[in-house]
Amino acid sequence: MDRSTQIALGVLGLLACFPLVVENDYYLHLLILAFMWVVIGTAWNLIAGYTGQVSFGDAAFFGMGAYTAGLLEYHMGISAWWGVPLAGVTATLLALPFGWICFRLRGAYFALATLALNEVMRHTATIWEDFTDGMVGIMILQTFESKLPYYYIVLGLAVVTIVIIELVMKSKWGYYFLSIREDQDTAESIGINTTTYKMISLTIAAALTGIAGGFYMNYMGFIDPEVVFSLHDISIMAILVGIVGGVGTVYGPAVGAFVMVVVQELFRTGGFGVVTSLAESSGSEILTTFALYMTKAHVLGFGILVVVVIRYLPNGIVGDWDRITALWRRGQQS
Amino acid sequence: MDLFLQTLIAGLLKGGLYALIGTGMTLIMGVMGIINLAHGQLMMVAMYLTYSAYALLGLDPYLSLFISMPVIFILGMLIQKYLLNPLVHTETILPENQVLMTVGIGMVLTEVMRFIFTSDYKSVKTAYSNATYFIGEISFSVPLMINFLIAIGVTLLLFWFLIKTDMGRSIRATAQDKEAAALMGVNPERTTYITFGLGAALVAAAGTLLVPIFYLYPDIGGPFTRRAFVICILGGLGSTVGAIFGGVTLGLVEAFAATYIAMEFEEMAGLVIFIMVLLFLPGGFKRLTGV
Amino acid sequence: MKKTGLLKLFFIPLMALAMIWPHSSQAADPVKVGVVLPVTGKFAKFGEIEKLSFEMAQEEINAKGGVNGRPLHFLIEDTTSKPDVGRSAAEKLISMDRVVMLGGGYSSSVTAAVAGVAINKSFPFLVNTGSADIITKPTAHTPSGRKASKLKKGLKEETDAGKIADIKKKITKLEARANKEVGRIMPRFRIFRLNPPVSEYASGLESFLADVVKPKSVAILHENSLFGTKGAAAFEKSAKKLGIQVLLKESYDSGAVDFKPLLAKVKQADPELIYMVSYVLDASLLMSQSMELRMNPKLFVGGGAGFTMPEFMSNTGKAGEKVISATLWHESLPLPGAREYFDKFKAAYDRDTEYHGAEAYAAAYVIADVLKRAKSFSKEDITASLAATDMMTVFGPVKFTSYDGKINQNKLETYVVQWQDGALKMIWPKDLANAPYAYPVNWLEERK
Repeated sequence: MDRSTQIALGVLGLLACFPLVVENDYYLHLLILAFMWVVIGTAWNLIAGYTGQVSFGDAAFFGMGAYTAGLLEYHMGISAWWGVPLAGVTATLLALPFGWICFRLRGAYFALATLALNEVMRHTATIWEDFTDGMVGIMILQTFESKLPYYYIVLGLAVVTIVIIELVMKSKWGYYFLSIREDQDTAESIGINTTTYKMISLTIAAALTGIAGGFYMNYMGFIDPEVVFSLHDISIMAILVGIVGGVGTVYGPAVGAFVMVVVQELFRTGGFGVVTSLAESSGSEILTTFALYMTKAHVLGFGILVVVVIRYLPNGIVGDWDRITALWRRGQQS
Repeated sequence: MDLFLQTLIAGLLKGGLYALIGTGMTLIMGVMGIINLAHGQLMMVAMYLTYSAYALLGLDPYLSLFISMPVIFILGMLIQKYLLNPLVHTETILPENQVLMTVGIGMVLTEVMRFIFTSDYKSVKTAYSNATYFIGEISFSVPLMINFLIAIGVTLLLFWFLIKTDMGRSIRATAQDKEAAALMGVNPERTTYITFGLGAALVAAAGTLLVPIFYLYPDIGGPFTRRAFVICILGGLGSTVGAIFGGVTLGLVEAFAATYIAMEFEEMAGLVIFIMVLLFLPGGFKRLTGV
Repeated sequence: MKKTGLLKLFFIPLMALAMIWPHSSQAADPVKVGVVLPVTGKFAKFGEIEKLSFEMAQEEINAKGGVNGRPLHFLIEDTTSKPDVGRSAAEKLISMDRVVMLGGGYSSSVTAAVAGVAINKSFPFLVNTGSADIITKPTAHTPSGRKASKLKKGLKEETDAGKIADIKKKITKLEARANKEVGRIMPRFRIFRLNPPVSEYASGLESFLADVVKPKSVAILHENSLFGTKGAAAFEKSAKKLGIQVLLKESYDSGAVDFKPLLAKVKQADPELIYMVSYVLDASLLMSQSMELRMNPKLFVGGGAGFTMPEFMSNTGKAGEKVISATLWHESLPLPGAREYFDKFKAAYDRDTEYHGAEAYAAAYVIADVLKRAKSFSKEDITASLAATDMMTVFGPVKFTSYDGKINQNKLETYVVQWQDGALKMIWPKDLANAPYAYPVNWLEERK
C-alpha cells in the first residue's frame, strides 16, 4: 500500500465518521455536492487526463442521467433511484454513437463536438416539451428526510468511481489510454486500435457522469434543461475540478472537487459569513466593502483561480504537489 | 414570397456579422492551432467599450470602431504574450492547456465586466437604431445594412493585409507550416501576438456593430463563442474564406429555421448543420474549395 | 513532510468549516428570518429590487418596535440565480443561522429547489415571487397527480364522447389517489405563496379583451422559460374560453438577436392580437422590430414581466407607446401605502420599483405580522400563524386559501396597464383606472 492510498483511506475513514460526529445539514449538503463533483471530475479525468481527449460537454452525459432518473418517475411512477443505474446505461447509449462519429477525427474536433453535443442536448430537452416538459422542468419529492442516506450513497459512488479508475488505469486498458494520450500515431503503429480504446474510455466516463446526474435528480428533486445541461455550471466546472486538482492523477479531481465547492461557498457567503459578521461587528467600512465585493466576485475568484493554476501549476494541486512543497520550503528558509 | 425574401434578407444581414466573428476565430485557429473559447467574451468587452464611449462621451457607436478595435487588438496581444505563449514551454500533460486557459480568460473577462457594469442589461439607442427602408413590402434595417457594408470593408482590409504586407505573409506562412516559416526568418512569437490581436480586433468590430441594434450584458459572450466555432467548423478550421462562407451559411440557416420550422429551432439548426458537416464533410467548405 | 502536507490540504476545508462553529451557536437577540434572493447572476436585477424592498421594510418595522420588542432581521442569502446554490443557501439559513422561517424566492426553478428543502424539513416558507403553479400545488409532486394532469391535457384534443367519459373517470380515480399520496407529505408541506401563480397573471386581461377589444385571433410569442411557457399556456386557455382563435404559438430562446423571421411569419398570419411573454430586453426588441416590419394588429399585449419595467420604455421609445400589459400591481392602486412605498423607494435608492419590489415589501410586512401573532417561534406555531394571516398590504389583501388543488395560495386580482406618453397608466378594471384606455390604436400612425 503506497502512501497516497494510506492517506486516501484515512480521509475516507474521517469522512465516513463525519456525519456521526457533526450533525449539521448544511455541512452535509456541501459534502454531498463535493462527493458528486468527485464522481464527475474523476470521470472527466479518465477521458481527458488519461486518454488526452478533452471533453467540453460533460453536461450532456450528466443531464442525460438526470433526465433518465427524472423521466422514469415522471412518466412511469418508478422510483427515481432505479434511474441511477439506468442513467449509466443511457449515458453510455449516448456516448457510443457520439464517439463513433467524433473519434474518426483528430485534433480540435473532439473538443468542439462535445461542446456541440452539450448544446444539442440542452435544446432537445427544451424543445421536446411533450416528453420532458421543457423549461418547466421536472420536480419530484425526495425520498429521505434525513441527509444521511444521500451522504453515504454519494460517498459510496465517489469511492467506487475512484476505485474503478484505479483498476482501469492499472489494467492493460490504462496503458493503452496513456499511450494514446502521449502519441496517437505511435500507439496506432504498435497495433493499438486507438478508436476502440478512446471509445472505451469515453463510455466509462460517460456512464459515471450519467450516474452522478441520476443522483443529482434524486437529491435535488428539481431539474430543468438549463440546470443539468449547463455548459458553464456543469461542463466547465467539471474541467475546473480536474485542472485545479490535477489532470492525470488518481486523487487530483477529488481534491479539486473539495477545493471548488469550498471556494464557491467561501466567496458566496463572504467567508462563511465570517467576513460579513466581522464587518458588521467592527463597523469598519473597508471590511464592509470588502465583504460586499467578495460576495459579488465569487465567479471572478473562480476565473482567476483557473488562470493562475493553469499558468503556474499546470498539473494541478496534486500533480504539482512537489513544486508547491518546494516553494513552501524555500519560502520558509528565506 | 414576401416572407421568403424577408427571411433571406434577415439571414444575409446577420450572416455578415457572423462572418466577421468567425474570421477572427479561424485566423487564431489557423496560426496557433487553438480554439479561442474566449472569443465571444472579447466581443462582449468591445461592446462594453462602445457602450461606455457612448454613455460617457456621447460617441456614435460606429465611430467607436476606432476605439474598440485597437484596444481589443492590444488586449489580444497581451493575452497571447503573457498568458498563452508561456504555456507552450511548460511541461504539461494536456496539450489543450492553452484552450483551457482561454476558458479561464473568458470567465475573468465576463466577471470583470460584471463587476464594473453589474448584470443589468444596457443598450444604446441611436436615432438610426430602428431606421428602415422599404422595397415593396420587404423591410431593410438601415443599421444592419451599414453593418453588412462595414463587415465587408473590414474583411477586404484583412485580405489586403494578409496578401500584400510582410506581416500578413508571415501569418499565412505560419498557418501553413510553422517550422518552415521559422526557417524562412519569420519571428514565430511576434506572429502569434499579431494574429491573436487581429482575431480579437475582428470580433471587436462585430461587437461594436451589434451595439446599436442589440443590447448587452456580461454573459452575452457565450452564445457568440459557440456560434463562432460552428462557423469555423463549417468553413474548415483555419480557412478565412471558409469562415465567410460559414458565417453567411449560419445566418441563413438560423433565419430559415426560425421562419419555416420554429423560432426555438434557431440555434439547434446551426448545431445540426455542424453535426452534418462533421459526419459528411469533415474539414468543412475548405475541403470543397481548397482555400 | 509530504504526508502532513497532504493531510493539511484535506483538512483545510474542514478547518474552514470548523471556524464557523462559535459564530453560529451564539444566542442572538434579533428574530432572524432567512430570505433567499438572486443578488448576483442573471436575475440580479430583480433580486436587487426585492432586496432593497426587504431592507426598507426591515428598517420601518424595527423603527416601530420590531416583533414584540425584538428587532426583526432579514438574513438575505444570495442564490446566484441557480437552483443548487439556492438549496445551499436554504440549508445554511436553516442549519447554521437558525432562522425561524424562510422568505423570498425569485425564479420558479430556484424557488422549487428551496421548496424541496422546506418540505423536507417541515419548514415554513413564504414565497413572494416564484410563480410556477407547482410550488403551491402538492398533488403535482406525485406520480398520480402528474398522470392525471397529463390525461387532462390530452382530453382537450379528444372528440369521441365515449372516450371522454372514460378518461374523465380515470382522472377522478387518479386524482383521488394523488390526494392520498399527498397525505404523506401534507404534514410537512408548509409553503405559502403571496403572489398569484403564473397561470392567473392574465386573468384581469380577460375581461378587458372580452368587453373592449373582442379580438377574433391571436398569435402568442413567449420566452422559452418556465415563466414564459406557463404564461403562454395559460393565455392559450383564456383565448379558448373567449373564443379567440390561436393562429400561432411560438417560443424563442431569450437572447435572440433577430426576431424578424418570426415576426414576418406573424405578420403573414395576420392575427388581431399579439400576446407576448418576455423579459425586458427581448420585449423591447420584439416591439422595435415589429415597428421595423410595419406590423399593424389591433393590439400588442404583454404578459407582465418585461413589459412593465421602466427599461422597457427607455429601450423602445415610440415602438413601445400604447402597448398594453397585464400586471400584478401598480403604484396608483387604491391600496394603503402603495404610493408611499413607490415614492419612498424612489427617493431612497434613486431608481424605480415595480411589482416585484411591492411583492417583497408586502412579504416583509406579512412576515412581521405572522411573527407578532405566533405563539412561539416553533415551526408549528409559525405555520399556524401564517395560515391565519388576514391583512392588508401594499400589494393587496393577503389571506391564504386553497382552490383548484393549490394550497396556501393568496388569491389576487390582476390588472391591465398601458404605456401612454412614456408612462405606465392603469387602465383596467375601469373602477381602478387612473387613465382612460387608448383603443383602437393605429400602430402605423402611432409610430411615425
